[in-house]
Formats: sequence, C-alpha cells, structure tokens
Amino acid sequence: MVSPEAKAKAAAGAPAIDAGSAEETVSCRWPLLVLFLGAAGWLVAGSLLGLLASIKFHSPMFLAEPAWLTYGRVKAASAALLVYGFCVPTALGVGLWLMSRLGRVALAGPVVAGFGGGLLHAGVAVGLVGVLRGDGTGFLHLEFPAGAAGLVFLGYLLLGTVGVLTLYRRREARMEAAQWFVLAGLFWFGWIYSTANLCLLVFPVRGVAQAAINYWHTGNLLGVWMGLMGLGTVFALLPRLAGREPGREYVAMFVFWVLLLFGSWTGIPATAPLPAWMPALSTVGTVLSGLGVLGVAVIVHQTLAGRYGSVWRDERLRFLGLGVAAYVVGGVMQVVEALSGRSWMLHFTWFTAAREWMQVYGYLALVMFGTVYAIVPALVGVDWWSRRFLRLHFWLAGAGLLFVAAPLAAGGVVEAARLLNPALGFVEVSRGTLMFLRLSTIGELLILAGNGLFFVNLAGTVAGICRRALADALRRWGAETTGEGAAA
Amino acid sequence: MSVEMRRPAQPATEGREEPTPQGAVPMWLFILLFVALFWGMNYFDRHGAWFNGRVYAPYRSLAELQMHQPPTGGINLERGRAVYESVCALCHGVDGKGKPGQAPPLAGAEWVLGPVNRLVRIPLAGLTGPIEVNGQQWNLAMPAMGAALSDEDLAAVLSYMRTSWGNKGTEVTAEQVGAVRKEIGNRTQPFTAAELLTVQ
Ligand code: HEC
Repeated sequence: MVSPEAKAKAAAGAPAIDAGSAEETVSCRWPLLVLFLGAAGWLVAGSLLGLLASIKFHSPMFLAEPAWLTYGRVKAASAALLVYGFCVPTALGVGLWLMSRLGRVALAGPVVAGFGGGLLHAGVAVGLVGVLRGDGTGFLHLEFPAGAAGLVFLGYLLLGTVGVLTLYRRREARMEAAQWFVLAGLFWFGWIYSTANLCLLVFPVRGVAQAAINYWHTGNLLGVWMGLMGLGTVFALLPRLAGREPGREYVAMFVFWVLLLFGSWTGIPATAPLPAWMPALSTVGTVLSGLGVLGVAVIVHQTLAGRYGSVWRDERLRFLGLGVAAYVVGGVMQVVEALSGRSWMLHFTWFTAAREWMQVYGYLALVMFGTVYAIVPALVGVDWWSRRFLRLHFWLAGAGLLFVAAPLAAGGVVEAARLLNPALGFVEVSRGTLMFLRLSTIGELLILAGNGLFFVNLAGTVAGICRRALADALRRWGAETTGEGAAA
Repeated sequence: MSVEMRRPAQPATEGREEPTPQGAVPMWLFILLFVALFWGMNYFDRHGAWFNGRVYAPYRSLAELQMHQPPTGGINLERGRAVYESVCALCHGVDGKGKPGQAPPLAGAEWVLGPVNRLVRIPLAGLTGPIEVNGQQWNLAMPAMGAALSDEDLAAVLSYMRTSWGNKGTEVTAEQVGAVRKEIGNRTQPFTAAELLTVQ
C-alpha cells in the first residue's frame, strides 16, 4: 500500500533532507564543511598515493628514486590518509550532524567544533609529512608519529566533546538507534586511539605485546568504531530516504551489543605470535560478530522490503545500499578468514587486503559519500554543483570496488592454496599473484577518479555559496556606502 | 518535498509514510546466537588453553605442551642423556667407556656406582691426581664440568650415568645435588681421589 502522498513524492523525484531549524543548520554549516572539505582533499591525496603503491608492487622501478616516494612510505601514507584523513573526520562530522538534527538542537559550540576539525586536519598534515620523511611508526593503522597522533587526538577530543554536549542538550528526549551508535562511537575512538598510541609510541610496551596492541586497535577501529559510526548513520538515513518511518529498534539494539561485546575481541589472526588464548578468543569474537552482520542484513531488509526499487532511483540511497552490502560481504569475509585459521592461511595473503578494502572503502567510505551527498544541500541551501558528477562517482566507486576487491580476494585464495605446497618457494608464490595485483591497480585508478569527482563537486558547491555570500556582502556594503554618501 | 528528520510525536497514522514493519529480532537470530555461543565455548576450550600465557599455537593446552616439553623437577633420563652427550661425552665417550689418555670410563666404575655424595662432588668441583678406575691407574685432571649445571640437570645426568651402559645404580635427586653443593660451598679447588674416599 503506497499512500497517495508517497506516490506523489516518488513522482516528483527523490526527497531531499529537510533543512531543519535555521539555528541547527547554521550551527552545523561551517564545522561540517571544514571537516568534509578537508577530508575530501585527503581522500584524493590518499588514493593517489595508494595508486602509486599499487603500481610499485608489480613495477618496482616506477618512481623508485626519491626516498619519500618509496613503496613503504607511500603505502603507509595512503592507508593513514584513507582512515585518519577521510573516514575519521567525515564520520565525526556526520555524527555531529546526527546529534544536532535528531536531538532538534543547535550544535553545542560550533566554533570549538570548527577548531577541532582544523586541528584534526593539521594533525593529518603533520602526520603525512612525517610518514613521507620516514618517521612513520611501522604500525598498521597507527602510522602517524606521536606528535601528529597527539594533534589528531586533540582535534577528536574537541569534536567528541561537542557531540556529547549536543546530545546532552537535546530537545527531543527519546533517543533513537543512531544516537546511541554515534555516542558509543565517540567514546570508542577516544579509548582505542589513546590507548594504542600511549602503549606503542609514548610508553612502548615490550616485545610481542606491541603486536597484540596493534591487532587489538585495528580490530576495534575497523570492526567496532567504523561499525558504530556507519551503521548509526545508515539506521537514521535509510528509512527516511526510502520514505518510511523509522520502526522499532530491537534488532539495532541486538547489533549494538553484539558489536560492543564481541566485536572488540576481533583482529588477532590465528598465526599471530601470541599466547594461544588470544587468537582463539579473537576467532570466537569474529564468528559472534558475524551475527551482528546478519542483524544488519535483517534491519535493511525490514526497512526496504518491497521498496528495493527506491534504492536504485535515488543516488544517495545507492551509495548507502552498496555500502551496507559491502559491510555484509566484508563481515562474511572476516569470518571466513578467521575460520580458515592455521590450516589455510587466508589472513596471510591478499585476501586480508581485499577484506579491508570492503570494510574501509566499500562500507564506511561509501556510506559517508551517500550521507554527505544527502546532507550538504540542506546545510548550504543549494543543490550540488554537478548532479552528473554525483551519478558518475557512484559508478566509478562501485566498479572500482569490484575491480580492487574481487581480484585481491581471488588472488588471496590462490596464494593461500599455493602456500600449502611445500615445493613452491615464497617468492614464486608471491609472483603468482601479480596478475591479480595488476587488475586491482585498475580498480584503484577508478576509485581515484571517483574520489576526484567527489572533491571537485564538494569544492564547487562550497565555492558557489562563498561567491554568493561575497556578492551579497559586497552589495550590502555598496548600498551602505552609497546610502552614507547620500546622507553626507 | 523534504524528508523529516524528526520523529513524529505519535506512531505514524495513515496518510503519512508507511511504517517500517515492526523491528523485532527474528527468532532464528537468537537461536543462531546461542548456537554460536555454544560453538564458541567449545572452540575456546579446545584452542584457548584457558588463558594460560605459556601455551602458544600450534599447541592447544598445557597438557599437550607438557607432552613435548617434559616438566622440570623429577628425574628425566632423556634429559640426562641430552646433557651428558653435550657436556661430558666429549671426554668420557658417548658409550661411557672413556678415552685412553683423556678420561677414564664411567661404565662399571665404582666412583659412579658408589656413594652419591662422593659422585656429586666430582663434576661440581673437578678431580685431579692419581685415581684407580676399574683396576686401572689414571693420573689426569678434570675441570669442574658440572658447576654451571642446575641441580635438576646435574641430577639427571648422574642418574643417566648410573643406569646406562650396563650400570645398575639408583637415581640421584636434585635435592641430593643441592645438599652437596651447599656443603662444599664455593670451593674451587678440585678434589683428589684420596680426599673423596673419606666421603661416604
Ligand atoms: C675435559 C674432559 C672431561 C670432561 C668434559 C668430563 N670429564 Fe670427568 N673426568 C675427566 C678426567 C681426565 C678424569 C680423571 C681425573 C683424574 O685423573 O683425576 C675424569 C673423571 C671423572 C670421574 C671419576 C672417574 C671415573 O671415570 O669414574 C667421574 C665420575 C667423572 N669424571 C664424571 C664426569 C661428568 C659427570 C662429566 C660431565 C658433567 C664429566 N666427567 C666431564 C675428564 C673429563
């Protein structure tokens, strides 16, 4: 049963996010634009470096000369930019927006939030220079040297405080799933990022305990934090964009507790050089988290049942839909990887890289693209600079994801199979994956192009409103001076 | 023409957008959760060694680990053989028959099978001067080859010597070695055969 109103709505095209009250919009505008615009810039830089690294892996002589362009540095820099340059600021920005809009209250401390965003981006800039100079830490997903990590953390602290205060001041007493997800995400990031940096860089623990902390941080960052921030966003936006009232949220609560209780154990592969209970517990945690992934699929199905077509018609929903699909696929891949264990060492191959692409880019980045596309027009009061870029971005992102993740996953399976053959040397096995890596380079190229369109579109939109504001100000100033002249 | 981010004060009434079908948790998800929890407990029980920090993969439990790495304490003749072959066999021979001009035999030797207190003193402080072994005269010098070994290792090697190559002696315990070590203190002077014969 489609109501006449809904029918009219569908006929008139996709619904836009409502502008909210003036004070909500105004308070969110600049802090969010600072976060999003900087993030889009880092994203382009990160995918460019990633493309370089991908090419170098099969053509090592490519740009081999300057030290700062060597594989180890550009690879680490691109990983750090994707996570700390793009995912963290965008997800925090979207989180703040949800806190304000769902609580029907202006952002608490927009200036502080804007400053926090600036600090975060400054930290990323310092970190990028550090990694390229060779001061990277060597820890995956914690690449930035301590000083840069400190700046990032300070920026996060300001933004997180604003988020929590905004929630505290909300005028809508009842909280919905998105709010508890984001709230938990705000605390979670502070906990894991500070603990990992303190224990690895500031007061380094000894020996293999470092590996344990690094695994723990990665598992929590990718599994729990990204899960919380992205799913919260999806749960808030998916029903609304699909034209449905948000329903009851028991499954969301199920997913929430599964993530917090079991997701936090994940991340330690079966061959880690750690006491056996750690990988064993991590494997159990991964399988149990798989139930949260199923729960997400249930929620999406409950929300969209009978309306899958609407996902297709609305570009923003396409991003969200593909993002959630990638979440489910990534979750299943993680379970397979954990269960393959020591007998079939998938996590020791490119399969892990494919899974991380699914989780970081396929899931979180795509969800964030869709959300930014949905909320920026309401924030700035004008539509996107280019609708065509927006549509094209989706195709580039989707095709890029396919071309990166599918070959890497297939290459990983082949690699794992050949690793079991004692007659084959390690170098030989690695060489056998080159074909897959070349294919994934094509995927990275497509992704870079899509990210470029995203940046240009966002920058163009912001430049448009800046120009308009400037013109307004000039006109007003002109009117004032001529008025004054007349008075004199 | 816009999506309302706000929740309606009351549940959706007709005319507004369709409500999402009730978001209850499907029963099968709970059943799966319990199945997974049960599996998880079993898996952890089999692979996790119950949080024992000494057990690393591929071992799954302390018991399995101990099968491969015998416990310290208690006499272990396999260990004794390993120590003997790496520390003593160079002079006394793997077969314990000694080597002419280098070291007297241990197989059948009254010094090996005699009083434990006497035997333990030899590797702890060394032996020098004339000595009769199996009716043959020797006059050489042996450094304190066993001084650096732990009580357990020395007891294991002496027990191995007393029960191998046709020797039928009793085993030596780590406590006996410890007691002698205390008795002779930090003596660096090697014993002589005559001096040893006064020890019972
Ligand atoms: C450097 C060569 C050397 C090594 C190594 C050595 N011994 Fe001796 N051992 C000798 C010599 C030489 C004598 C005879 C000393 C003498 O003539 O007074 C001797 C004598 C003995 C005797 C008494 C005589 C007999 O044969 O019954 C015992 C018991 C003995 N060694 C035990 C050990 C044990 C136990 C070890 C290992 C912890 C050991 N030795 C390692 C050279 C060695």
